[in-house]
Amino acid sequence: MKTQLSGPPSPSETFEPYETMRPIPLGVLMIAVALALWGVVLLFDNSEAVAIGQAERADVLADQPARSDADGASLFSARCATCHQPNGSGVSGAVPPLAGSPFLAGRAEVPIAILLRGIDGPIRVRDTVYDGHMPSFASVLSDEEIARLVSYLRERFADRPAPVAAEMVTALRGELAGGSGWKGGQELAARLAPELAPQPSFALASRAEADPATMRLVNEGTNGSWACASCHGALGQGSETVPRLAGLPAGYIARQLESYLNGSRRNESMAVVARSLTRQERVALGDYYALLRAPSNARPSLGGDIARGERLVLEGVWDRGIPPCVSCHGPSAFGVAPGFPGLAAQHPAYTASQLAAWVSGERDNAQQKLMNGIARSLDDADRRAVADYLATLPPVPVAATKERADDRR
Amino acid sequence: MNRILPLGVIALGILAFATLMLVIGPAIQIKSMAPTPGLANYSAQELRGREQYVAQGCVYCHSQQPRSADQAPDAERGWGRAAVASDYVYDRPHQLGTMRTGPDLFNVGTRLPSRDWHLTHLYQPRAIFAWSIMPGYPYLFERKSRAGPGDVVVSLPAEHRPAEGVIVAKPAALDLVAYLQGLDHTNPAPARAVRDDGYSERGEPR
Ligand code: HEC
Ligand code: HEC
Ligand code: HEC
Ligand code: HEC
Repeated sequence: MKTQLSGPPSPSETFEPYETMRPIPLGVLMIAVALALWGVVLLFDNSEAVAIGQAERADVLADQPARSDADGASLFSARCATCHQPNGSGVSGAVPPLAGSPFLAGRAEVPIAILLRGIDGPIRVRDTVYDGHMPSFASVLSDEEIARLVSYLRERFADRPAPVAAEMVTALRGELAGGSGWKGGQELAARLAPELAPQPSFALASRAEADPATMRLVNEGTNGSWACASCHGALGQGSETVPRLAGLPAGYIARQLESYLNGSRRNESMAVVARSLTRQERVALGDYYALLRAPSNARPSLGGDIARGERLVLEGVWDRGIPPCVSCHGPSAFGVAPGFPGLAAQHPAYTASQLAAWVSGERDNAQQKLMNGIARSLDDADRRAVADYLATLPPVPVAATKERADDRR
Repeated sequence: MNRILPLGVIALGILAFATLMLVIGPAIQIKSMAPTPGLANYSAQELRGREQYVAQGCVYCHSQQPRSADQAPDAERGWGRAAVASDYVYDRPHQLGTMRTGPDLFNVGTRLPSRDWHLTHLYQPRAIFAWSIMPGYPYLFERKSRAGPGDVVVSLPAEHRPAEGVIVAKPAALDLVAYLQGLDHTNPAPARAVRDDGYSERGEPR
């Protein structure tokens, strides 16, 4: 063919294209260098943050068995002053005075034994008989802390400056381990200090055992629901998001079970449980758990700032609209029956989850919506701080007899 | 192709470097790691249950690695503290998982300690959570006209009970539940443990 289009000569079949060396534009080079520098700076910046994070965690861990460097005076104001008053005068008719108390003036073993076990029965202090409940601090104060606290109390309130050794606390803790609260002044006097006699006797009304039907609900469950104890523990002590029930007000427990039933408080597992219960059973279970006594198994676990939690619980932050939690939940957050549940020794994950549930609306069962607003003004760090602090408190002291529980109600 | 050799060498070099940093280094770092204080080894039954967990593919929907507070509110959900490397010394292979279609299970034994709850849930999740998308595992159970001695009867709400007879757990279900009940890593982790530090900065002011 003659009319062939004449074009550029076709390239050789084996030709491979290549690029000639051209220098990288200066701008691109500068950007690359700047990025690399930025990376190095970030690396250093972050390494500092990592170091801080690790130091903080070490602090938190050191804090965990309660801040063990606190001196006697701060232990007293944090742990005792809400009931015994900052000047140790007590509350007339309800809480005995520490100032001038013969229980502090005698052998040092006596106040230590009281702190390790708490007191259930009536006790005579300087010619007045009190019949309240003193909580046990065995699970929240270490031996050194108890020694420091008792030394402080004896010096301040009883003019006994000789310090108490931690070994004495350790020895007594071993000796008294596992016992329930002292049955009033009488048992204390008989065991440790005869000079404190005469003491009023303990009315021996044994704890109202729940009837067999209720115990079956607690320990075996029904066909259609599970045993309470399989989740809430044999003593109602709970764990993580399963709440501690031991010592909550009876009326409060029954009302929560009703709320799960009618859906104003949402939790699928508890709804199944509540559907299997009759009204009488709900009331009987409330009575049973209100009288149950269990040592605390809660400990701070959310990495919250315990000092901040303590401030929120005891003092609140008024300009952010947060009242002190103890103003409603009672001294030491032990609760005020029937409406205000105890928060002391509750599990942090549960406490935090409830505070979140009021914000999200999953829990909206209270007649007066007191908690809704409070929960909304707490931010995430507040929630963790409060929940962790509450877990360091001793468990709610429980009335030893049905009669006492009734007049607290 | 030009410069095959340098290209190949560089590519292999990058691959080798990545392997060194991402695989060999960490392996050396955690190889001889002691378990977190307080962490117990699995019992024989729990190990059998663990095999069930692997075989049933629970890992496709459940992670086993709670995150620290600055990454996710896992602790407040009750899923436990952030996991550290030494929590996994007895897990071969680990069941870290990547999907959270369901909750993290690393501490499910502490927040759901009830054997009977787990049996009901495995047999039919919708007996508890009407909205659940977790599959039921009815083949780990059998229907009997009446429970024999030693049989564990599954407690079911009326609408999920069989028309007659009872639902009884097979050994595989009991093993799996024993494994779930044993999942507890709430013992405090040492401050210097190998962990993912995430974005941990000084706690925000206020
Ligand atoms: C919830 C309130 C409460 C708290 C908190 C509390 N106590 Fe008591 N305490 C009482 C009550 C009530 C009694 C009387 C017990 C009774 O009547 O059975 C008592 C009795 C005592 C007694 C014996 C009687 C006396 O007055 O000497 C001592 C000692 C004592 N408490 C020390 C302490 C110390 C120390 C702390 C702090 C670690 C503390 N208490 C915290 C309520 C409380
Ligand atoms: C499957 C485990 C499980 C079983 C079984 C169970 N509970 Fe619960 N319970 C929970 C969980 C989880 C919560 C927390 C729910 C929430 O976040 O609202 C709870 C909450 C509660 C509350 C509310 C406590 C509070 O402080 O407000 C009460 C009361 C209660 N349970 C009583 C019972 C009783 C009584 C039984 C036995 C009839 C029982 N539970 C059986 C898991 C269980
Ligand atoms: C104005 C009174 C009031 C104040 C102040 C208050 N609360 Fe409450 N709180 C209540 C009442 C009432 C309930 C019981 C709600 C119900 O019946 O469901 C409650 C319940 C709770 C519960 C649930 C307990 C359980 O067992 O489920 C938590 C947790 C709680 N409060 C935390 C706090 C914290 C933390 C603070 C302080 C920041 C606080 N509250 C301050 C009135 C108060
Ligand atoms: C298709 C995804 C999927 C698979 C596969 C799956 N799950 Fe789930 N799982 C879920 C979802 C969604 C939930 C939340 C709803 C519920 O509890 O049913 C859940 C919840 C759970 C819970 C309750 C956790 C809690 O905190 O409430 C347990 C325990 C559980 N699964 C165990 C298992 C086991 C064991 C297997 C394997 C045999 C498994 N799951 C397989 C999706 C899945």
